[in-house]
Amino acid sequence: MNRVPSSVRRDPCAVHRFQTMTYWRLFRNTSRSVSTAEGLAVDDTLPQSVANHGSPPILHLYTFVPSVIVGKYQDIESALKLDRCKARGIEYNRRSTGGGTVIMGPEIIALGLGINVDWPGLERGGVGGVFESLSRVFIRALDALGIPSQFQPKNDIQVSGKKIAGLSAAAETGKSLLFHTSFLVDFDVELMTDIMNTPLVKLSDKGYNCFSQRMTTVREELGRRVPLTSVMDAIQEGFEAEFEIRFQEDEPDSWEKETIQAFIRDRYTKPEWIFSHKHPRSRMGVGRIKTRGGLLEVYLSLSGGSIENVVITGDFFSTTQDVNRLENALKWASAREESISQKISEVWRDEMIYGVDVPTLTRAILLAKENQVRL
Amino acid sequence: MADIKGYNMPDDLYYHKDHAWARVDGTKVTVGMTDFFQKEAGDIVFIDLPDTEDEVSQGEVCGKIQSRKWIGKLVAPVSGEITETNEDLEEDTSLINSDPYGKGWILVIEASNLDEELKNLMRGDALVAFIEAEVKRAEDEKAKAK
Repeated sequence: MNRVPSSVRRDPCAVHRFQTMTYWRLFRNTSRSVSTAEGLAVDDTLPQSVANHGSPPILHLYTFVPSVIVGKYQDIESALKLDRCKARGIEYNRRSTGGGTVIMGPEIIALGLGINVDWPGLERGGVGGVFESLSRVFIRALDALGIPSQFQPKNDIQVSGKKIAGLSAAAETGKSLLFHTSFLVDFDVELMTDIMNTPLVKLSDKGYNCFSQRMTTVREELGRRVPLTSVMDAIQEGFEAEFEIRFQEDEPDSWEKETIQAFIRDRYTKPEWIFSHKHPRSRMGVGRIKTRGGLLEVYLSLSGGSIENVVITGDFFSTTQDVNRLENALKWASAREESISQKISEVWRDEMIYGVDVPTLTRAILLAKENQVRL
Repeated sequence: MADIKGYNMPDDLYYHKDHAWARVDGTKVTVGMTDFFQKEAGDIVFIDLPDTEDEVSQGEVCGKIQSRKWIGKLVAPVSGEITETNEDLEEDTSLINSDPYGKGWILVIEASNLDEELKNLMRGDALVAFIEAEVKRAEDEKAKAK
């Protein structure tokens, strides 16, 4: 049974319509960009409300003030140049979901979804099903905006091999789940290179323009400014079509407001949370080898024993799409030789990088691992 | 009977419904995550372990496990005191994927109420039924979506 929102309760006809359709709640904030503490606290409340407060799934669409947010188990002091964030007035915080660093701001749509992991519209049960179903929502939304896109397992939505949205999720209360994504309407590359420590930033220091080969935005794809509200509309409609539901605009009730305030007070304004030391050790290294196809350079960042990020570059012949496919396959894989070789082999095809084969690429990555230094 | 629907589930272990396994040696219980869990979760990239000397209760969330796409919970299959955690996982969490019942062990609990609590864990026919139900649930969800 759907919980009837306060805005519907006063009208008996509306109550009847509501009870015979499947409605999800929508918290949509277009009036202002919110602080990281506020936005993240609302998001953490969503699965709590679904699990403990009888709410149907809730979608939260909003924007942040200019900010940068790390994943739950990232080393914030290695991931960010905190002095530059402070100098530029960029907020930083830590979210409760996994994954890597994201830049947020008034031109990037933030999305939080609280949903039961066994919701019948999901492609299959479990967290993997959430990713598959929700990726289709974003593909529909981009399609409606005139941008054909694909899901790049396991975490990205891509347009012609370039990332336009990233997905992350965390299991929360019981069987309910918080799902996060960021949707790039427009993006400040200069800001990213100034405040983040990633292999891509190291390359930018050398004059490579890596970002434009790896990321894109709605604005760049369409060649014009698009109102944020239009993109939010497209996302909403994507959900409605994919899950065969309707949204009811709503706002947090008093229980939810109290929960939000508790998360702000006890989590998102606490240095112990923001600077948490529960994370794997971060290291970075470079591997360079001469191959038949030219110089092959690999920039590797490691998080404990896993590959957090890898950038494959050099003066060989390949396509952006193929290089991105390889980089994506290696992301978050174990940095052990057999695992690296296996992940490359899973996506490899002949001449993917001219003059380079799987053992050679594996060797370059292992060399970068050998050369690792602590950040 | 180590193979259930393609998942390796050794006979000599006890299993919790949240996919932790327990190997009992006297009152010492070694704990890890099952082959079913690691296949569903994918590459494990971080494990947030409890401290040794922490007291845990059966069914209590005592840690978090992050794969590249989500953060799952580690549930204590029995009550007691945590006496050991696997330090090798700090450097290589993929051991949970590559050797879930061996080098990928997670922690050891000195159990405080073992005889009673083992009755709440699964093995044998109950385990087969549980895994089959989990697999069927996933298949049903997929069928509904088509």
